[in-house]
Amino acid sequence: MRTAAFRSVHGVLWAGLGIALGAAGPARAHFQVLYTAETALDSGRAMHVMMLFTHPGHGGPSMDMGQPEGFYVVSQRGEEAAPVKTDLMQYLEPVRWHAEQGQAQAYQADLPRTLARSLGDYVFVLEPAPFYESGEDKYIQQFTKMLVNVGGVPGNWGAAVGLPAEILPLDKPYANWTGGVFRGVVVASGRPVPNAELEVEYLNYALDLEGHRFASEPEVQYPQGSFGTLSIKANDRGEFVIGLARAGWWGICALTVGTDTEHEGKPLSQDAVLWIQVKDMR
Amino acid sequence: MRKTLAQWAGLAAALMLLTPASAHSPICNCYDNGDGTVTCEGGFSDGASAAGVAIRVVDGEDRVLIDGKMDDSSSFSFTKPDQEFHIVFDAGQSHIVTIFGEDIE
Repeated sequence: MRTAAFRSVHGVLWAGLGIALGAAGPARAHFQVLYTAETALDSGRAMHVMMLFTHPGHGGPSMDMGQPEGFYVVSQRGEEAAPVKTDLMQYLEPVRWHAEQGQAQAYQADLPRTLARSLGDYVFVLEPAPFYESGEDKYIQQFTKMLVNVGGVPGNWGAAVGLPAEILPLDKPYANWTGGVFRGVVVASGRPVPNAELEVEYLNYALDLEGHRFASEPEVQYPQGSFGTLSIKANDRGEFVIGLARAGWWGICALTVGTDTEHEGKPLSQDAVLWIQVKDMR
Repeated sequence: MRKTLAQWAGLAAALMLLTPASAHSPICNCYDNGDGTVTCEGGFSDGASAAGVAIRVVDGEDRVLIDGKMDDSSSFSFTKPDQEFHIVFDAGQSHIVTIFGEDIE
């Protein structure tokens, strides 16, 4: 299992903070964030998408992203239609994400309405460059999905994109009530990964998309270090279930499930990340 | 063998139980293409295709201006009328969606 104890990259400032917090610091998981404000749209609209490599349960620290290897959307209107892949690399714009420990390279994209004005599902995919984690002397590459639906017509929300590491939803990622559950299957190149290790974090600090920083105050206080990053295991078919205790965004990351295990002569962890949005029933 | 009324009633009840659930809702969305045409897309909440579903463009006095059907991709495009209009996506009883021209962006 990877936790901050093994993945710490935070330098002197964060080491100092760790000392201030005490020896038993909270576990933090690296998460590739792929965010847009609203995933269940009544009709198509222009979208602002934020891409950030960070620790969402703790509002940082954030790490420098390299130039992504891929950024695209696979859309489908209705379950009988064919999926359509649209490359979005031209919309990538580098931005500096502000954080207590300095700034981190992040990316954003302003997508025109014409890209997502049809009914159906839109599976946004980010294939980031491998990130060198000096604390572990290894690379991490998190293949990340975030889904948007327009108009309530379902499409390819449960289908595989075909990533080296991927979480297949068993429930729609854009239609979840607080108090419900979310289910998925961890796959590597389409094959289920038995007993996969997963980490789950709540996006506990709102994203300030104008100022490119996290909100200063968290949404919730963790009673103990185990709660910031929830560690779970998939069953022998690669399936998992998580409870959705609060409205907002939940990130799910399956660790080291991809088949590529080396990058530039060092170990490589290919992870699968899926983001889901949860709403209160009111 | 002749069936009794009770047997027929039982058969009817069994058939009703076998009838697939029909909880889907019709969905239609239209957008202005910016070139004088409008495209409407249809579908259902269970992901079913809307190919072949009737669609009508109607004026303010309920006169049908254009009478058409959704194509194989569940879409229908038409030239935007000069006068006030609305669109009726008609997938049968209780499966009708109406969209007013002024709401189309």
